[in-house]
Amino acid sequence: MPVPTRVKAVAGRVAARRHYFTRNDWMGYVFCAPLIVGVLAFAVYPMFAALYMSFQQTSGMSLSGRWTGLSNYRYVLQDPVFWQSLYNTVYMGVLSVVLGIILSFILASLINSLKGDLGKNFFKGIYFLPNVVSAVAASLLFSFLFYPSREGLLNFVIGLIGIEPVGWLTNPQFSRLSIVLMSLWGALGYNTIIFLAGLQSVPRDLYEAAEVDGAGGLAKWRYITIPYLRPIFGFILIMGTIGGMKRFTDVWLIGGTAGNPGGSLMTCVLYIYRNAFLASQMGLATAASYLLFVVILILTVLLMLANRRRNSFG
Amino acid sequence: MAQAGTVRTPPSRRRRSAAGQRLIFLVLLLGSVVMIVPFLWMLATSFDWGARLNITFPPRLWPEEPSLKTYKAAFMNVRMLRYIFNSLLVSAGVILVSALSALLSGYALSKLRFKGSAAVLLLALSTMMIPFEMTMIPQYLLFSKIGLIDTYWAFYLPALNYAFGTFLAKAFIDQLPSELREAAIIDGAGELAVFGRIYFPLCTPIVATMVILLFLGVWNEMLWPLLALKSASKYTIQIGLAMFTYNNGLNHQPSIIMAATTVSLIPVVVVYLFLQRFIIESIALSGIKQ
Repeated sequence: MPVPTRVKAVAGRVAARRHYFTRNDWMGYVFCAPLIVGVLAFAVYPMFAALYMSFQQTSGMSLSGRWTGLSNYRYVLQDPVFWQSLYNTVYMGVLSVVLGIILSFILASLINSLKGDLGKNFFKGIYFLPNVVSAVAASLLFSFLFYPSREGLLNFVIGLIGIEPVGWLTNPQFSRLSIVLMSLWGALGYNTIIFLAGLQSVPRDLYEAAEVDGAGGLAKWRYITIPYLRPIFGFILIMGTIGGMKRFTDVWLIGGTAGNPGGSLMTCVLYIYRNAFLASQMGLATAASYLLFVVILILTVLLMLANRRRNSFG
Repeated sequence: MAQAGTVRTPPSRRRRSAAGQRLIFLVLLLGSVVMIVPFLWMLATSFDWGARLNITFPPRLWPEEPSLKTYKAAFMNVRMLRYIFNSLLVSAGVILVSALSALLSGYALSKLRFKGSAAVLLLALSTMMIPFEMTMIPQYLLFSKIGLIDTYWAFYLPALNYAFGTFLAKAFIDQLPSELREAAIIDGAGELAVFGRIYFPLCTPIVATMVILLFLGVWNEMLWPLLALKSASKYTIQIGLAMFTYNNGLNHQPSIIMAATTVSLIPVVVVYLFLQRFIIESIALSGIKQ
């Protein structure tokens, strides 16, 4: 009879395997238990709970309420404030990512072309310093530097060349740009460090080969450095975009929960925060947070695809 | 080859490259001034009793009425010592929980090839994509349901989920030889002893990286403390500072606010000045690894 023998053999093998693996398996689960508990409780559970809540009309600080289907999503998508917040967020995000990449890449190239480690380390240290400053501290500091009258440092400086004081944070036309300038000050060093690490990984022989062919400094930069660093451009682009979509602390502190001036600093996360914790509309807020997640996901996937296609050195 | 090339470089070109170096240095120096001036203005204003009500005109990089009264006023109006103590407490707890969780799981995923380890790694890494801004509402409701809002458990417990640390630890332990473990196991050591006595001491560099990244992250965190902490005596430094200005108006009492801001920056800047090279390496490493 073939069947029982096979069953017995399989059972034997399973027993043997269990005997052989048990210790390892159990130790593995024990060692990973803190991580698994953390991931399940503070990432997986809240993700599904948020999805569930986004279909509920909740009242007060409660997880569940009345099932309302897609009406939260419909409300958010018809809310002009949400679209305004999305526009502001994308506007500030794109501007700070694009300007940040250009400036920090130029900075990194300049620092990298310095001879001697002393100068390199000095400038690395200086440009990175604002990165350890918290968003709260930076916002407080820049709210003074961007003071709307001529007492503000920036208005004083532009006043020296005869430009009238600008309401950097009080004029809705300039407020987003000011936030971008402030975040550039903070983030430039971070991107520069990452670019520098990349610049140091470009193989020397590529440059030597180009020199043999008579390429000058700019040609090497254009045809070797930039293509070689494409993955790093992609990384900074993706991380910067994700970070930009989550802007909250600075606009909350400077513009308040209304995103002043004139709603120009209302961002998606501020919209979520306002609905959840000021209006106690948890269902609405989770629907908005899911929409934000989808936007971030789409942007990330698009950027990843674009980056993969353009990566010319493999 | 390179030597020969240097020797044969014509003097004019060498002079041009020296001039180029000087130009690059100048441009970088100019940029550095832009980066540093906000700090100088902050320091000057923080010591300027003349700016206690309004910022001065013209803007100064040296106080008009140098005084320590501004700092005294800052410590009296904003409970800085309390907030700093709270922040240190939260940082220490989060670092302990996160680093331990990351090292234990990183070790297990690297050296114990247990059933489902690939799934655990995949789960942890894929949840890194989930933005906190989406999970914060259910997380807040969870903590308020179990009564841990306004306690530091709202920080220590989520610290268990440090998937990026797991990833760093696994990548680091992957480079350590497995023979150490096998030899110790043959000698009769338990798995915990192997981890604690053999691998943990070898992990010092990656532990240091995690400690620094976590400290900077926790010290500067704002959104979750804003939700999770209700009583002013429990505020961390950022929320304490933010709430003070939020309640008093943004552009009031410049010198006091700048003094408090300066104090809030001291711990991170001190850490940065002493560990600058190491922090920059950690950042570059974490950037490239991601």
